[in-house]
Amino acid sequence: MAEETIGIEEVVAIGYGTMKKADVTSSVATVKSDNFVKGSVTDAGQLLSGKVAGLSIISPNGDPTGSTQILLRGNTSLMGANQNPLVLIDGIPGDMKTVPTQDIESIDVLKDGSAAAIYGTRGTNGVIFITTKPATAVSRNTLEYSTYFSTQTIARKLDLSTAADFRAQMKAGYRTTEMFDNGASTDWLKEITRTPLTQSHNLTFRGGDKNTNYLVSVNYNNDEGIFKKSYNQVFSGRADFNHSMFNDKLKFNINVFSSSTKYNNHGAGNGDGGFNSNIYRQVTMQNPTSPVKNADGTWFQELTKFDYQNPVSDLNESDGQSNESNSRYKGSVIFNPITGLKFTGVFSYGKRMRENGYSETKQNATTLRDNRNGYASIGGEESINRLAELTAEYKKSIGNHNFMILGGYSYEENDYNNYYMQNWDFPTDKFGCNDIQLGQAISSGKYDNMISSYRSSTNLIGFFGRFTYNYNEKYLLMASLRREEASQLWGTKNPWGTFPAVSVGWRITKEEFMKNQKLFNDIKLRAGYGVTGSQPSSSFLGVGIIDYGYGYVYSNGKWIKTLVPSQNANPDLKWEEKRETDLGVDFSILNSRISGSVDYYNRQIHNLLFDYAVPSPPNLYNMTMANVGVMENKGLEIMLNFVPVKTNDIEWNTSVGYSTNKNKLVSLSNDIYKLSTGYLRVGAIFPPIQTFSHLLKVGGPVGDFYGFKVIGIGDDPTDVANYGQWIYEGADGKPVKYSDFGHAFEDKKVIGNGLPKFYMSWTNNVRYKNWDFSITQRGAFKFQVANLQRMMLENPTESQYNVLRTAYNKVFGKTQLKSPVEFNSYYIEKGDYWKIDNITLGYNFKTSRIKFIQSMRIYASSLNTFMITGYKGIDPEVSLRNPTSYAQAGVVQTPTAGLDPGMDSPYKYPTTRTFTIGLDVTF
Amino acid sequence: MNNLKYNIKTGIAVVAVLMMINSSCTKLKDTSYNQIISSEFTPTVADLPSLTGAPYVDWRGLLLQWNTLYRAQEVSGDEMLTPARPNGWVDGGVYRRIHEHKWTTDDDIVINVWTRAYQGITNCNRIIYQVQTGGIPVAAKDTTSLIAEMRLLRASYYWVLCDMYGNVPIVDKFDVPEGYLPQQNTRKEVYDFIVKELTTNIPLVSADNNQATYGKFNKWAGLTLLAKMYLNAGVYSGTPAWDKCISTCDEIINATGTTKIALESNQKNVFITENQNSKEIIFALPFDSKYVSDWNSFDVHMQTLDPGNQATYNLEYSPWGGVCAVPQFISTFDTTDARYVDNYIKYQQYAANGDKLYCTMGSFSGKPLSFRNYVGGVDYSDEVDGFRLGKFEIAMGASNRLSNDWPLFRYADVLMMKAECLLRTGKADQAAEIVSEVRARDFKSNPDKATVTGAQLLGGSSYDYGLRNHLQSTEEGGSDIQYGRMLDELGWEFCQEARRRTDMVRFGVFTKKSWLSHSPNGDYRALYPIPQSEIAKNSNLKQNPGY
Repeated sequence: MAEETIGIEEVVAIGYGTMKKADVTSSVATVKSDNFVKGSVTDAGQLLSGKVAGLSIISPNGDPTGSTQILLRGNTSLMGANQNPLVLIDGIPGDMKTVPTQDIESIDVLKDGSAAAIYGTRGTNGVIFITTKPATAVSRNTLEYSTYFSTQTIARKLDLSTAADFRAQMKAGYRTTEMFDNGASTDWLKEITRTPLTQSHNLTFRGGDKNTNYLVSVNYNNDEGIFKKSYNQVFSGRADFNHSMFNDKLKFNINVFSSSTKYNNHGAGNGDGGFNSNIYRQVTMQNPTSPVKNADGTWFQELTKFDYQNPVSDLNESDGQSNESNSRYKGSVIFNPITGLKFTGVFSYGKRMRENGYSETKQNATTLRDNRNGYASIGGEESINRLAELTAEYKKSIGNHNFMILGGYSYEENDYNNYYMQNWDFPTDKFGCNDIQLGQAISSGKYDNMISSYRSSTNLIGFFGRFTYNYNEKYLLMASLRREEASQLWGTKNPWGTFPAVSVGWRITKEEFMKNQKLFNDIKLRAGYGVTGSQPSSSFLGVGIIDYGYGYVYSNGKWIKTLVPSQNANPDLKWEEKRETDLGVDFSILNSRISGSVDYYNRQIHNLLFDYAVPSPPNLYNMTMANVGVMENKGLEIMLNFVPVKTNDIEWNTSVGYSTNKNKLVSLSNDIYKLSTGYLRVGAIFPPIQTFSHLLKVGGPVGDFYGFKVIGIGDDPTDVANYGQWIYEGADGKPVKYSDFGHAFEDKKVIGNGLPKFYMSWTNNVRYKNWDFSITQRGAFKFQVANLQRMMLENPTESQYNVLRTAYNKVFGKTQLKSPVEFNSYYIEKGDYWKIDNITLGYNFKTSRIKFIQSMRIYASSLNTFMITGYKGIDPEVSLRNPTSYAQAGVVQTPTAGLDPGMDSPYKYPTTRTFTIGLDVTF
Repeated sequence: MNNLKYNIKTGIAVVAVLMMINSSCTKLKDTSYNQIISSEFTPTVADLPSLTGAPYVDWRGLLLQWNTLYRAQEVSGDEMLTPARPNGWVDGGVYRRIHEHKWTTDDDIVINVWTRAYQGITNCNRIIYQVQTGGIPVAAKDTTSLIAEMRLLRASYYWVLCDMYGNVPIVDKFDVPEGYLPQQNTRKEVYDFIVKELTTNIPLVSADNNQATYGKFNKWAGLTLLAKMYLNAGVYSGTPAWDKCISTCDEIINATGTTKIALESNQKNVFITENQNSKEIIFALPFDSKYVSDWNSFDVHMQTLDPGNQATYNLEYSPWGGVCAVPQFISTFDTTDARYVDNYIKYQQYAANGDKLYCTMGSFSGKPLSFRNYVGGVDYSDEVDGFRLGKFEIAMGASNRLSNDWPLFRYADVLMMKAECLLRTGKADQAAEIVSEVRARDFKSNPDKATVTGAQLLGGSSYDYGLRNHLQSTEEGGSDIQYGRMLDELGWEFCQEARRRTDMVRFGVFTKKSWLSHSPNGDYRALYPIPQSEIAKNSNLKQNPGY
């Protein structure tokens, strides 16, 4: 699929330039817009779902403000700044969320290090080039209109007890305390869901001539979420102008993008966009016999219960909105003084601004229970990105020797600031967060930390060069070098990093001895090695820092802020380095009926950045950010494309992708930082389980769940202390009765792994006359998911809340569970799944007889259509990063690093199934 | 001609590019907008209190933040527990494990006490080093006393470590070579170190007792800590030091004429919200709900009160409590004892306006909210179960944090230490005199009851030890405990003050007796284990015996 659409003569983006596919010596995949996932996608990332081998795109939830998570060739960093691939929108750093999907022409993915090394630090997780539809010379001015409408359903629901179940549970004597029959029958999930309608409209106008041409597009997208009051509304506009002069010696391009986005937030902090996940969790916990409202119209509440409040009230008695605007201005100039020589200057300025407002009424639980008497917060942030890149390129062919040399300089800077304030005790609900000075909490002088602001500023400076050579397009070579320094490393001994790369290719089919065979159209062998890096995400880690964050002390009758060093400085801090070897072959046989590529990669990440646990004293703190340790990722990626049928009327393309990833933490020690036990405890589970979830062992893989291993349940009623309690496997492998079980670290075992060992995908595109049909399927295999929803909701001792219908089932067919909620192997489930994700059926109208219409197409599609899995929860495709967790002492918590994969949290906005109908017309 | 024109342009372009590279920065951003880069900071005298205050901050977190010293000392003992409640409090069994002495090597209390105490030690070491090397501009005349004060404070953190873990590394330097890993010391070495630090530095700190020394280690705070070390010398070092304890207490007692340290007329005065002027307090950790705003900084009231009690005190937030008294302990009280009357929240609860409060959870829903002196067990309890902790005054309208200062050392403690040592050295009658003196304020309407005899102090405990829960009931009693009455007296006077475990260990009860759902789980449980996470970082550390 990736390669299927692109012939060897086509060009692909390789960073600071393009190259003929045939000459490329590294692993690059290209997906064109015809082959994108169709329908109402979350962001540009989802367009690639299942399309590129080795690139996992996770849509972790159904929140319309959410975005996809991208993992390319496994975890490459523990705590570096670069957790995600570098996303370049027309060469300018951006993110998947800030480009309207209808504007995208194609996406190229640089997978291996030899290709990405020209981007140095930022390219360490691969590079994704998003090319928006460009202005080009057109024969006549055109106007394209495309639109779609879609709706969603919840793909799978939790099997919660209904009011009838609840009453049966009471009758059976399972529920004797804690929760009572409140007389009503409420489907709490239904109370907060709706049938959402999403609509999207896009107008693109192209015009001009060979020398001056332009494209202008406007886009409107209104996404409604399946939960009430969750939405994401975007207006955007883009203009692309090209002008060339002096016989094309000088070319200018101006690209302007601006968008304005509006979405719901839940205000708990500055810019917590999206749906309040606690509302959904409360839905799962509510008594199904409670009414939503009392007879007098007020919300039914039982606020004395711990962590328990009416979710419908929460939803209706709060209001939050964020307004975001994004703009990107890019200008570039290309100067070709003589044939083969090209100077390019690219300058861009990007700005993202956001205003957040949130308020809660006096009917909200925060007033009824916590005496807030109305609450409001406002905040905002601004992020500015400036980029200047200058390159000079010279191309020359002498006989069969083809050279290209490129040199360049890149400067990027980021400025970020935010502010936030909160207030409560309002005289009225009338003004929400729009009159924040009306609240009395700030002026009462009783509270500290009501107002805050923050600013940071970073930059990145790089010099780079690249040399490519090929002999008669048969022997191919590419070598590049980038030197880069990052402000995050300011104050360290050496803020510079050097990132070399070299790759070679051999097109066997160009050899004399292959002349006479007819089977192969093309075979290319590739080998590459490249170094990329990652700087730490925070600044000033190399130097001593003092700040006012330690708290107040009472001194001589006054409270004063203390001034305290805030970190263990590490002047030896340097770049994390990923050294990647990629061996690959691209081939095409039988008149290109079968083509494909196979890649093997081996990534060795050295000088891993991590907050290493160090003893304190002598250190100031328990953690020091340092470069220690080595991590390894190895894998195989296979992409095969077939064209089984190709006639004038029917064409059938099918592609199969397969990728594996084997991840290992090779070491975590050096001369200074020693890990005497050989493991790190990572991830943390929300209360009541206040412990870590994963163990990262030296020599072991990322993602090992670490908990108690269940081997049975006590079923002797006379043994009161153990009846209905877990029987765990002891350290010696023998069963241990619950009352004898220490629940110690030593009693825990590896009970699964949350990272899939391999992924597969299968795409089919069929065209029959004017009809087209496509189906994308994908799956992940050999991994486990911690079903934390079952852990919380399938435990009868949690009788202060609603439980799953299965909660009172006999465990192992023996007896009901009596143990409190514990993180153990009973809730670790096989996560393997196969999803029939995207199905699209389209029809292209014959427009030759209609005067004003060049082309017209209608289509219907579905997303996340059907799933085959043994997993008992909602969806085993869970977040790579555990979103809701609270740190326990001694646990390394790095919520962004993806060290605790596979946690299916009860806070998750459920994934949805989407149905779309759409129309594309070109006038 | 054309070619020439283009070549000129090329030249201009190349020059332009080079200029941009030169002028437009190879300079990294080096401005921090919210932190100060140490090397760019020149402290002035005005910064002094801010710079030297940090080591005191750590004591607050060590004592009272979530799952730390307070629980390690109290919930593990026989006077307080955190049972499973209709509103939760199972939390993975952590509180149950503390009650049953089944804590693991990475339970919160084990980790938190260690890291927070050492955080304080590191801050002390740092300040000492910075003062010695001129990093903090202290006037020459104040250097000695400031360093001595920091060393006393440091000793107080080592006292906690000595008491909790025993065998811990002594680190008394800040400038150590790179890669230095602390060596573990024996409990006796730690004890000797603390005593030596105290005896050498007490003479160097201020002997004043006024606003300037409030919340700081002055001479009297140092002496009280020294007395505590001597009191527990038998446990800490293997050799009792009862006489030394007496003489140290006497030094404080004999100076009360100038220091104005004295017993309060009511014990309650030590624990009221505005207790900063209490003459009984020798060393306090100051709290203020506005300024000490760390999560769970001082929320004993939130942890013990029923949600309904929000109305009793017009609290800003609804409490979510469950921590309560062990009924067997409550039963040891004389019900006319002011400490029983004032320090526990019991029976029918009312709103501030006088309305009766009712239960809202579990099987007692709808019935009057009336706390009873019964708890089902650590694994099960009803909303009304257990008297609640009320020693520290809960101010009307309090937020989720209290503003009462925490009296870490108080004069009654000095008197009772002396009394215990007299008792243990054969002077029971002298001991009884002191104990009676302390008790006098608690039995104002029954002065006879205040008087204790030497013979009584020599007798056993009135604590009715034994399992006493919804599953099991056994009889052990307390009459066999040597000086058991003295232990009872300590319980009555110092309940809820984060010290019960230490007293129980000294009287040999901690790992021997059963109460509520707790059965003895091995003598080694008198010491907590070294946290697994610390052993992981420092290969010199050996686990305490038994773990």
